[in-house]
Amino acid sequence: MAQTLWIGNIHFKTTNVPVKLLTAVSQNRIQLHLFHKTDGIKLRQQMICAYEKTPVSSDQQLKGFRVGERSYIPISPEELAQTEPKPSRTIAVHEFVKTDAIDPVFMGQTYRLEPAAPGKVYGLLAAALKETGRQGLCTWTMRKRAHLGALRSDGKSLNLIVLRFADEIIRAKSLGLESFSISEKELNIAGELIGKLTVPFQPEKYTDEHQKKLRALIGKKARGEKIRLSKPKHLTATVPSKLLEVLEESLQKAAA
Amino acid sequence: MKKTSPPKTAPQGIWSGTISFSLVAIPVRLVRALAPGLIAFRLLHDKDYSPLERKMFCPEDEAIVPPEEITKGYEIAPGRHIMISDEELESVSPERSRTIEISEFIDLNEVAPIYYERPYYLVPLKGGEKAYRLLALALQKTNKAGIAKFVLDERGYLALIKNRDGALELNTLHYSDEIIPGKDRKKAGFTEKEKDRLKKIIKEMTADFAPEKYSDRRRQAFLDLIKKKIGKKAAVEAPEIEDEEAEEGMADLMAALQESMRKMRKADEQKKHKHQ
Amino acid sequence: MNKKNISINDRELSLSNPEKILYPAYGFTKVRILEYYSRVARFILPHLKDRALTLKRYPQGVDQEYFFEKRCPAHRPNWVKTAALPYGKDKKIAYCLANNLETLIWLENLASIELHVPLARAASYRTPDAVVFDLDPGDGADILDCARVALILKELLARQHLLSWVKTSGRKGLHVFVPLNSKGTSFENTKSFSRAVAETMQNKYPDLVTARMDKKYRRNKVFINWSQNDASKTMVCAYSLRAEEKPYVSCPLKWPELEKLLKLKKPDKFQVLAAEAVKRVGKDGDLFREVLTKKQRLPNV
Repeated sequence: MAQTLWIGNIHFKTTNVPVKLLTAVSQNRIQLHLFHKTDGIKLRQQMICAYEKTPVSSDQQLKGFRVGERSYIPISPEELAQTEPKPSRTIAVHEFVKTDAIDPVFMGQTYRLEPAAPGKVYGLLAAALKETGRQGLCTWTMRKRAHLGALRSDGKSLNLIVLRFADEIIRAKSLGLESFSISEKELNIAGELIGKLTVPFQPEKYTDEHQKKLRALIGKKARGEKIRLSKPKHLTATVPSKLLEVLEESLQKAAA
Repeated sequence: MKKTSPPKTAPQGIWSGTISFSLVAIPVRLVRALAPGLIAFRLLHDKDYSPLERKMFCPEDEAIVPPEEITKGYEIAPGRHIMISDEELESVSPERSRTIEISEFIDLNEVAPIYYERPYYLVPLKGGEKAYRLLALALQKTNKAGIAKFVLDERGYLALIKNRDGALELNTLHYSDEIIPGKDRKKAGFTEKEKDRLKKIIKEMTADFAPEKYSDRRRQAFLDLIKKKIGKKAAVEAPEIEDEEAEEGMADLMAALQESMRKMRKADEQKKHKHQ
Repeated sequence: MNKKNISINDRELSLSNPEKILYPAYGFTKVRILEYYSRVARFILPHLKDRALTLKRYPQGVDQEYFFEKRCPAHRPNWVKTAALPYGKDKKIAYCLANNLETLIWLENLASIELHVPLARAASYRTPDAVVFDLDPGDGADILDCARVALILKELLARQHLLSWVKTSGRKGLHVFVPLNSKGTSFENTKSFSRAVAETMQNKYPDLVTARMDKKYRRNKVFINWSQNDASKTMVCAYSLRAEEKPYVSCPLKWPELEKLLKLKKPDKFQVLAAEAVKRVGKDGDLFREVLTKKQRLPNV
């Protein structure tokens, strides 16, 4: 069941579209908690003072901005309030980019937008965005936080995707991966193999079987039944010198 | 040498195992691809300005609980719960607890943004570097992504594995039954002229996507605000915290060495005594 | 804290990167590895003494690149003893000898997580002190199968008046040692003996045992690697750590214990973690002690 989380107003130039933000994803997952092995007590996450090693309640907590190894500039709650963005109901569209211009790595939560007032503007914007093949880059403030997002359309409906900021994404370069030389032949066979194993993307095919099995395990434990442990499946890593051979074997297998 | 709590170094990984496609198997470790933004505040103790750390705490014992004493559990009724060990969790779907088996590939263009949940990187482990690189390059060349299922902790994930700058990026995806379908909509009553006018505006406002622009802007606005509000304030010093774990480790080693040397000396003396 | 200077038996050592995590999935740091080896030193040193070491070094941790090192590192302290032994056809190189605690700690500071030793001592490198039966499970077989084979092997050897001792490899298999400790023994003797025993077992238990190295014969069977009985081969030393995800130890087991573990049908229970190994030696001492002292003779093959 989609819930209305917020109401705002898409705005750029002379265009104003009042909208409601709704959740687009509903997850119903088994939630596990952490417990103390020795006495079975449910554990809580607490903020612990690194110096005294004791828990510190929220009324003894203070926010600080780090300026050195052990130096901080403390910020009072009032000052903090002043660093917060001013509350606003505007979803300000600053510019438009092509529909495929944003790498999915930037894409976080998707919200569905519903018209918050009767009229044709919502449908008009949805049609125009789709036909121009564009998405709108916008900013808005929700629950005291400033967000960056992408306004997208499928022709009739609008979605708003929260975007991650560039400095929140770890670059592949920082992983320190070595560059290995791959032969033309190996690359071609791998490409061919991928081609043979390519299928159309049909997300409905995939279901969460694990969740069902976890529920069954929990049921068994609740009834006091014995749990038969299974060792996780392990695969033997392909020996680098045998890579080409294994690729060729794989291709034969895929062709069969 | 004393210092404050050391920052965590390179990510140790959340999950490690093997990723495979057809008969090729690559040992890997999963690491984060997202980091908190650069504009975070640290929580401090108002008494001594010592930084606060998030730890698991037992309310009954009133003590921090070390990782070896923590287990997962499920609350079957308020106040009633059953504990589940890591081995039991790994037994639920053992074919997916340590392996990510790519059974098929798909075209990246076919995946709607709504399916993406969270990105990670896979990092190759010893012996897997070459095959890892091959897979990344092949995915780059074909512009495809692998689809697989795997289990991390108590969750079964649907994953998409693609190339990012020569590395393998793993994205967890939403299952289609988790996606709330959009409403059906009637056609709105706008005119062609109105639509064309709006399309013109959209095109005029079009630019290239430059994400750094927004993160730089955000960071600068934040720093400006900080400087303005607290520029005149003095910084406070947090107390020195001994790297307790490191101190403990060395202390244990010294104790072990002393004990060993003592026992070996004793044994040598006893032997000498025997021969005399 | 990156370096720490310590003194063992009046010899100075500088420990580098003691906080480096070498077992990332377990959180074991180098200092913990040093602590482990310190605690089992008096039990492992007799098995290392005067044996040309092959080091298996993991400077970046157990899941990163490792390398074998036979030649004793040139930058060693002058008190580290070495032995010059043949390497390949015409060369001779200096191998490290871990004859004391300070050398053991120096080696472990180099992240030599696994210590591998030959069956013969350096001074008499052509004379094996024991016969080894290296039980290695093929794909589809496991340590339970190795335990079955080990027990049958023990009986077979007993019938030839030979006592044997067993330890876990710390990975997937088991090692059965038959001490000889006799001057006249040669590797030809021990190799042909172990081969004969392995082939006899293969013939008698074809669904459980194979004596052939070829991977295609090893599926679902335990391979008795008799070719390990060679001057050029090494075995992981008793009480050495293994570079697995967790700090498992190549740990001696009592025979009745092995039988009990087999009956439990739980392969995981065979594996001994570092902390447990320390407890065991504290309680039972060195279960492999007699492998170094017991004198036995091979039957005329």
